[in-house]
Amino acid sequence: MPLQLNLLHEEITQERQRKRDPLKLGIIALSFFGALLFLYYGWNAYRTIQIKGRLNAAEREWQGTEPKVTAAQKRATELRQIIDSTKVLNGLIEDRFYWAPFLAQVSHCVAPNLQVTSLDGSIVEGRHAVAIALEGLAAAREPRAAAEEFRQLLAEQLEKNYGEVKVIFRNLEDLDTPVNLSGVSTPSARFILSVTFNPKPGDTGKTEETANAVAKSK
Amino acid sequence: MKPTNLTKDQIQKIALSALGFVALIYCYFNFFLGPLNKSRASMMVSIANLQSKTASSKAEMKKTANLEIQAKEATGRYEALKATTADGAPIAWFPPKMRAFFADQGINKVTARLESSADFKQKELSDWIKDTWAIDLPQSEYGDLGRAIAELENSEPLLTIQHVVIHAVPDDPQYQQTSLIAQTALLKK
Repeated sequence: MPLQLNLLHEEITQERQRKRDPLKLGIIALSFFGALLFLYYGWNAYRTIQIKGRLNAAEREWQGTEPKVTAAQKRATELRQIIDSTKVLNGLIEDRFYWAPFLAQVSHCVAPNLQVTSLDGSIVEGRHAVAIALEGLAAAREPRAAAEEFRQLLAEQLEKNYGEVKVIFRNLEDLDTPVNLSGVSTPSARFILSVTFNPKPGDTGKTEETANAVAKSK
Repeated sequence: MKPTNLTKDQIQKIALSALGFVALIYCYFNFFLGPLNKSRASMMVSIANLQSKTASSKAEMKKTANLEIQAKEATGRYEALKATTADGAPIAWFPPKMRAFFADQGINKVTARLESSADFKQKELSDWIKDTWAIDLPQSEYGDLGRAIAELENSEPLLTIQHVVIHAVPDDPQYQQTSLIAQTALLKK
């Protein structure tokens, strides 16, 4: 076996030691790891930029929508207010008491031998009622009977359109001086009638409905 | 396996490398990746908020459009009711209006004066005012009066007659003297 002499032993050892230098290896490992981290950071940064783009788009969309929605909200509030106000105003209009039909009914009940000299009517607030004082003169052989006839007729006519009708005499007195009725001197009486009623018709319809419902259930 | 004998110098270098590694990790997560992730997360939240706001706004706009259709009748009605209030102070235009109205009905010398003015109790009518007027009709026939009141009630939906007093004129029983207390709902201007 031939003899081999390593004359570069020291240099080779130094070279090996240089290659196995922990600091150098550490720097290489750190650089490699750092490069990996940098790549991962780059990927994350790219995703963030994409998201930033989406955010900008969303912001642009919102900036375009915001004035419209503010206007829409304002309009909706306005519309709701209009609807509510109209509803309340319609309620006021529907709850009104119409005097003209009542005056017509009174005039239809007044016979030729009767004169209404005063009518004082008002709406009783909060009670949904109308109160009227009617003052007049009745002339007939039996003036009180004529006044009573007027009272009954008026009550009957009013009951057709209104509810809870009450027509009562507040005063009925014979007058000493007769009145001239178609050239004939006729005894007369002065009357004051108190009329109260509910402007809404009585619940006759409701009563019928209830009766029908009861009949059906049987 | 043969154990590696490390020199003191090598151990120091390994420790230095480990320290460098820890420092790198710390800096990376605290100063680079952490803030980036935080900003991305906050942007995602902002996007979600904006998208939900935009979606709800679009729904609201649709609702308003539907409401507009539904409120068409009410809007028209409200405009018509608003139009019953003329420009200017009611005291300036209401009495002449009544005078002209009754004159058209054949009843002259009508006077109207403002008795009181108050706000409505209903909060929906905060833009409206309740005026009470005394209207005097010194001389009218019963038939004309009835027709005029019917016409007034039909043409003035926001006018309510609260009180009616009719007296026969003593010297001329054909005519009546009438006082009306009427309440009007007028738009505040």
